[in-house]
Amino acid sequence: MTAPPAMREPDAPWWQNGILYDFGRSPVAVLAAAVAVLLTVLALGADLIAPYDSYNPASANVVDARLPPGAVGLFGDRYLLGTDPQGRDMLSAMIYGLRTSLVVGLGAVVLAAVVGIALGLVSGYFGGLVDTLIMRVADVQLSFPAILIALLIDGVTRTVMDRAMHDKLAVPVLMLAIAASYWVQYARTVRGLVLVERGKEYVLAAQVTGVSPARIVGTHILPNVMGSVLVIATINLALAILTEATLSFLGIGVPPTQPSLGTLVRIGNEFLFSGDWWISILPGAMLVALSLSVNLLGDWLRDALNPRLAGT
Amino acid sequence: MSDGPQPILGVKGLTKRFDVSKPRIVRLVSGEPRRIVHAVEDVSFDIIQGTTFALVGESGCGKSTIARCLAGILRPTSGAIVFMDTELGATRSRRAALPFKRNLQMIFQDPYSSLNPRWRVGRTIAEPIITHALLVGRRQIEERTAELLCLVGLTPADARKFPHQFSGGQRQRISIARALASEPALVICDEPTSALDVSVQAQILNLMRQLQERLGLTYLLITHNLAVVANMADTIAVMYLGRIVECGPAQGIIDRPSHPYTRLLLDTVPDIDFARRPREPIKGEVPSPISPPPGCVFHPRCKLANERCTRELPRLREAADGRAVACHAVEEGRALALVGLAPDQPEKRAG
Amino acid sequence: MTPVLAVEHLSVEVGTRRGALVAVDDVSFEIAPGEVLGLVGESGAGKSLTGTAIIGLLDPPLRKARGRILLAGRRIDDLPAQAMRVLRGRHIGAVFQDPLTSLNPLLTVGRQLVQTILAHLDISAHEARKRAVLLLGEVGIPAVRERLDSYPHELSGGMRQRVVLALAFACEPTLVVADEPTTALDVSIQAQVIEVLKRMCRERGSAVLLITHDMGVIAETADRVAVMYAGRLVEVGPARRMLAQPLHPYTRGLISSIPRMRAHRGMLSQIDGSMPRLDALPPGCSFHPRCPDRLPRCSLDRPQMLACGDGAAACWLTGPQPTGVQVEAADRE
Repeated sequence: MTAPPAMREPDAPWWQNGILYDFGRSPVAVLAAAVAVLLTVLALGADLIAPYDSYNPASANVVDARLPPGAVGLFGDRYLLGTDPQGRDMLSAMIYGLRTSLVVGLGAVVLAAVVGIALGLVSGYFGGLVDTLIMRVADVQLSFPAILIALLIDGVTRTVMDRAMHDKLAVPVLMLAIAASYWVQYARTVRGLVLVERGKEYVLAAQVTGVSPARIVGTHILPNVMGSVLVIATINLALAILTEATLSFLGIGVPPTQPSLGTLVRIGNEFLFSGDWWISILPGAMLVALSLSVNLLGDWLRDALNPRLAGT
Repeated sequence: MSDGPQPILGVKGLTKRFDVSKPRIVRLVSGEPRRIVHAVEDVSFDIIQGTTFALVGESGCGKSTIARCLAGILRPTSGAIVFMDTELGATRSRRAALPFKRNLQMIFQDPYSSLNPRWRVGRTIAEPIITHALLVGRRQIEERTAELLCLVGLTPADARKFPHQFSGGQRQRISIARALASEPALVICDEPTSALDVSVQAQILNLMRQLQERLGLTYLLITHNLAVVANMADTIAVMYLGRIVECGPAQGIIDRPSHPYTRLLLDTVPDIDFARRPREPIKGEVPSPISPPPGCVFHPRCKLANERCTRELPRLREAADGRAVACHAVEEGRALALVGLAPDQPEKRAG
Repeated sequence: MTPVLAVEHLSVEVGTRRGALVAVDDVSFEIAPGEVLGLVGESGAGKSLTGTAIIGLLDPPLRKARGRILLAGRRIDDLPAQAMRVLRGRHIGAVFQDPLTSLNPLLTVGRQLVQTILAHLDISAHEARKRAVLLLGEVGIPAVRERLDSYPHELSGGMRQRVVLALAFACEPTLVVADEPTTALDVSIQAQVIEVLKRMCRERGSAVLLITHDMGVIAETADRVAVMYAGRLVEVGPARRMLAQPLHPYTRGLISSIPRMRAHRGMLSQIDGSMPRLDALPPGCSFHPRCPDRLPRCSLDRPQMLACGDGAAACWLTGPQPTGVQVEAADRE
């Protein structure tokens, strides 16, 4: 039973209308947000926070290889979370790895979103042949697993470029590889939303007035679909981070000189059963924390936005 | 239709059909025939400047489709539309059509979806001004927006608010302000008060009438509510299943309806005055516009239908007092002559 | 005679962030057996909520805050959910606005009817089917045998609403609650459906609570009328008399603002302003800011229902006899 119209919240635009209030009341959301923010800050401030510069080979001391967390190295270096087989400080490697993971994840999501939203808008508003074409391409895209596509793109670039160039461009290539699969979800969702909005009378009014289709799509329809896009983006972010981790674990992601969390997991994999658990488990735990917190935030966001969208 | 003041809008033979068939491949396999919705068939009428012309009928009669064809949202299948002495061609580009769109605006039924919920109200009202580059400079546009808000009974401060902060009636006023922003000659009103409460409806109708007098507007009023029509319209066209069945001066048609369908519609208007007038029992429902009945589309529900009605489509013929009726029974003199809702005569039925 | 329905001081509240808002405030009325009571009001007046409270379908954040609801003398507002469910199909029938969502799209019309009948009456399936056929015939559905096996989406809006009526009357209820039963229908179909509703009530002696904003439907159908404004009852009385001589200034304004067929092209009389929001109700009489006849007292004391002739109105101006103030048709040019 919906409340009668006389009871809508007065005098506040919809996005201020209690979303922050809902947020404050949900302990899960607050916790998830806190973790996500903490990790992001850590990643952004990698250069300042990490005790050692992971990318500097000189900071890795083979003598100190595979030391457990809390150990002190031969020359007195403190390794809070231990070291990896090459003597790199785990904490620093994890922080830098976190940064790589986040950068790739965000980049992939932004790329997928831009392409997916644009295609979804065009597809939904103009319909007809353009719509059919785009949607069939999307269908074909979906029939390939994301990992496979990423493998394909990565493989192609490796053969096309030489080793050095590939290493330099690894991160953008990885973003492209992951985005190549994810744009479809945006396109389809946006297309559905556009179809709904297109039938609404405020769009008709703009058409009657003579507003150009580009303006209608950009200024009228786009703001009204962004809410749902945000939800997809948050959930996609977690997925993209995990995909990158998977690719790196398989050895086809970031180059070993810029290890991400997935790379670290891979490196530590062979030592798991010999007792040096921290090399795999700790980066794994951080990965879990990151993707879980982003996922929970996305879930909460979707639930928080939904009744508002339905009730307006 | 009349010589005297010139028609601002002339529609001739307007037809709109929608093809809702399944794709050809599916049809080849299943053997289904094409399915065409005959939404509007051969509709012609003129609207005189400064008057209110009402298109009346139940849902599915095609009145909204006509509105959308006139407003340029739909392309007619065939027929001619002459607006302000210029024929609006079927292949007009958006650019070329801009001067006409400026002069032809529309108000919609649902106050809750006819305003963009993300836009402030001032921006919504100013959009036609900006699209047609009528004013330049933010100050000027803001002043004009404030003027329009006052014109419809709101305050200039409302320009900064969002639609959800207003009631249904107020939103409809905002829609009217938007429609007036480009100083149009003709405003199409598609069920402007059907979604509003009765007391709010009175406010909006009064406002529309005041604005018409002040600004010399012409209204094309589309509605199923006959009482609203009685209150607002100078001329009526009654539609049934895509065709006009009766057309002419509003007062005459309401007091003395000729066409059997018009009579049925008037009979079904709820009797709030308890006049307890004798009524025809009503039978049947509106048939599907995909396969309209042959001959006169109303014949399955008509008490006066004869053999001719089942095969020959009646054409609109001019009758007395400036109206036109499409009915064989009327033409053949078989229709009962009615004395209708004239205020001081006792109800009786002749013939 | 015990009234079929007695509502006593019913209040319904909505829980919001800023505290509870009163959506229905101290509403009391009765419906006699076989009577049609029209509950009229504009959107937000609380009439639908009243109906929902009576049927017992209030969901949080809505809840009944105060008052009693008695069906044929027995209290029903404090029944547990299971008992209420039994009551709802058997003794209270319900008709809602949208026939498309009132019917299960996955079941044929016949099955829905039979299911409902079997759920509440202790008869055989064969008997139930015979009853279903009879019912569909009564509501005026042609070719009943074929229609039994039709799905709701294969029927037109008017047909569907007739099926809904059949469902509502299937178990011979003592009370039928109809919430805007004709609003979503075409004008010519509305008249037919109203006829069916009236006939079925008459033949069974059921009482009807007809909730609507459409005064025309009330004029055609109701014996007595109760008018609501901003959650409160403002007037009660016989339909015919009230439409001609309303007691309360709001009712008067409402009826005057309805456009009439015989008054061509005149300015309609209007009530300025709009119904107040529930969180911003004026003190005293909630209508006083818009009332042309207000007294100083009206902004201070909330008026109780004061009897006047055959009706009552919540207005300080109500005297012991109807004042004979006629409703003006909008004849002014």
